[in-house]
Amino acid sequence: MRVLNKIVDWIDQRIGAREILKKELTGYLLPRNINAWYSLGSILLFAFALQVLSGILLLIYYVPDADKAFKSVSYIMNEVPYGWLIRMCHAVGSNMMVLALLLHMLSVLFMGSYKRPRELNWLTGFILFSMIQGISLTGYLLPWSQLSFWATTVATNSANAIPVVGPYLVEFLRGGVLVGPPTLGRFFALHVAVIPAGIAALIGAHLFLLKRTGVSTPPFGKKNTESQLQSDVYHHEDHPGGIPFFPDFALEDLRGIAIYMACFLAVLFFDPYLFFPKDAFIPANAFVTPAHIKPEWYFLANYQTLKIFPNELIGLSLQGAAMTFLALLPFVDRGRERHPLKRPLFMACSVGGLLLWIGLSIWGHFS
Amino acid sequence: MAKLLNLSAFMLVTLIFMFQPQPGYSQEQPEIVCIQCHSGMPEKYSQPVKLWRGSIHAENGIACNACHGGDPKDAANAMSRERGFLGVPKDPDIPAFCGRCHVGVMKDYLASAHGRALGKGGPTCVTCHGNHQVLKASLELINEKSCSRCHSYDRARSIRDAMQETETMIVATEARIIDFKKVGSDTEKLEKELFALRNHFHSLFHNVNVETVKKESSQIQTELKKIQSVLATWDQTNQKRKIAGAIAISVMLLIALFAHLLRKTFE
Repeated sequence: MRVLNKIVDWIDQRIGAREILKKELTGYLLPRNINAWYSLGSILLFAFALQVLSGILLLIYYVPDADKAFKSVSYIMNEVPYGWLIRMCHAVGSNMMVLALLLHMLSVLFMGSYKRPRELNWLTGFILFSMIQGISLTGYLLPWSQLSFWATTVATNSANAIPVVGPYLVEFLRGGVLVGPPTLGRFFALHVAVIPAGIAALIGAHLFLLKRTGVSTPPFGKKNTESQLQSDVYHHEDHPGGIPFFPDFALEDLRGIAIYMACFLAVLFFDPYLFFPKDAFIPANAFVTPAHIKPEWYFLANYQTLKIFPNELIGLSLQGAAMTFLALLPFVDRGRERHPLKRPLFMACSVGGLLLWIGLSIWGHFS
Repeated sequence: MAKLLNLSAFMLVTLIFMFQPQPGYSQEQPEIVCIQCHSGMPEKYSQPVKLWRGSIHAENGIACNACHGGDPKDAANAMSRERGFLGVPKDPDIPAFCGRCHVGVMKDYLASAHGRALGKGGPTCVTCHGNHQVLKASLELINEKSCSRCHSYDRARSIRDAMQETETMIVATEARIIDFKKVGSDTEKLEKELFALRNHFHSLFHNVNVETVKKESSQIQTELKKIQSVLATWDQTNQKRKIAGAIAISVMLLIALFAHLLRKTFE
């Protein structure tokens, strides 16, 4: 213990570590009525770290070559010590992370935390959500299974609906006319380098914005529900008399992460193939089209929307409009009221939209 | 600024939705000219197409030209001898006709009592397996109705009874291997072993010596049990993983409970 203290003293003398720790941990005060939903950010950080770690371990044995990719994944699953655990962690983790991300966004939405002055937090979060979808989609191709191959064929084919440039775009995405080895190379680079770097940068920006703006006060409980920002001048929303981040909210985060991990492990050990259709374990074959290619559960609503409309461009445009509206929501919804029950129009639209999304997903699953 | 934001968001959203999945394609492949022409002909010529559609050949993508030769892409010359068209073989030529692909089976057949009676009123491949609606080799083919067309069923029944247990074991083992394959287990080696055993077993189908069939069946069963023991080991591994999972989940729940109680203490 004395040695540890000496090390801390040595560092403290040089960079003022104790001061930083005090400011960022015990001196970092949060609203007294903060709730468990605020832990979803920490859970997501933890889930992303788990994805990075399991992804790096998979990289040791995975071979991004169309002739070897499927065999290398099979080797990881069957021969590498605990390889099955690492692979399943990565695959199940991606789905669980999307679920946690959706819950995080919903909590921000219903508590009105996206409102002024947190428009940029919402926007960076929304871009992060899109990038998580992108990294999931590119990762889907890497095992080079029937599911990977045909899901990517269908997904990249969507670009064909864009007038004039569509066919060129499809060829650009695939690196050829059809999905093949060049597509695997491109998607691999996107999945392990480009998108993770983008996600890391955006997480940094998201956290920076959180620190600069301050944690929002939940619109429930004793506190008033209005934003603290009263003028056009920069103002950090701090919470004098609030609870310290450490140990109080750190324990709340730890509880959230442990519950997330319990759910994650339950899927991993007791229903690991929940997110795997049977085509996921058959090697890619360009000459055999599986009867029904379905996307991951979080894309099922998009999939069903495209099926409803006879014209792909209309379906894509509608989804694009909906996503654009959501991305720019803080700039549209400028009211200062944040309590969901005091925003009946917002509640009706949000609950309606959520039910529509769930309904389309279920329809897509069974269609 | 607002315009710039709108434009950026629109471009981003467009980019995202280029990746959105679309409805699956149907798996329609152009039919070969043999099927196109024969399907529209009178029953005598169209029936082979109907029968073929229900065959093991159709199931495995073996089309007309694989047996009868010819050019399946050129309607005008599809049945041209110059393009390798063979037409319909005469009865004594049928084993050699089928044996171009089923080399080992032809050998087994020719060595059997059935094969030795070839050209002397004995059965050919199509007698039991059918022509066009070719049936998968299975014990179902040995039945009273079929065998009684030529001789009594007694000996055939003894052979079938001797093989039934092995057949059941093969079917059950295959189903278990498929179950493991569906969840990403590397079943390639086991599949190859089972394939070899099944071929060995099927070679007995043409053997009419009851003692030989019993002896060979017993050997095959011993090998099948080895495969089943590997599958049992995999089952045990899965069970162990579940136990480890249950422990890990419990630890996580305990951590959650501990964090919750400690937080309440600080409150």
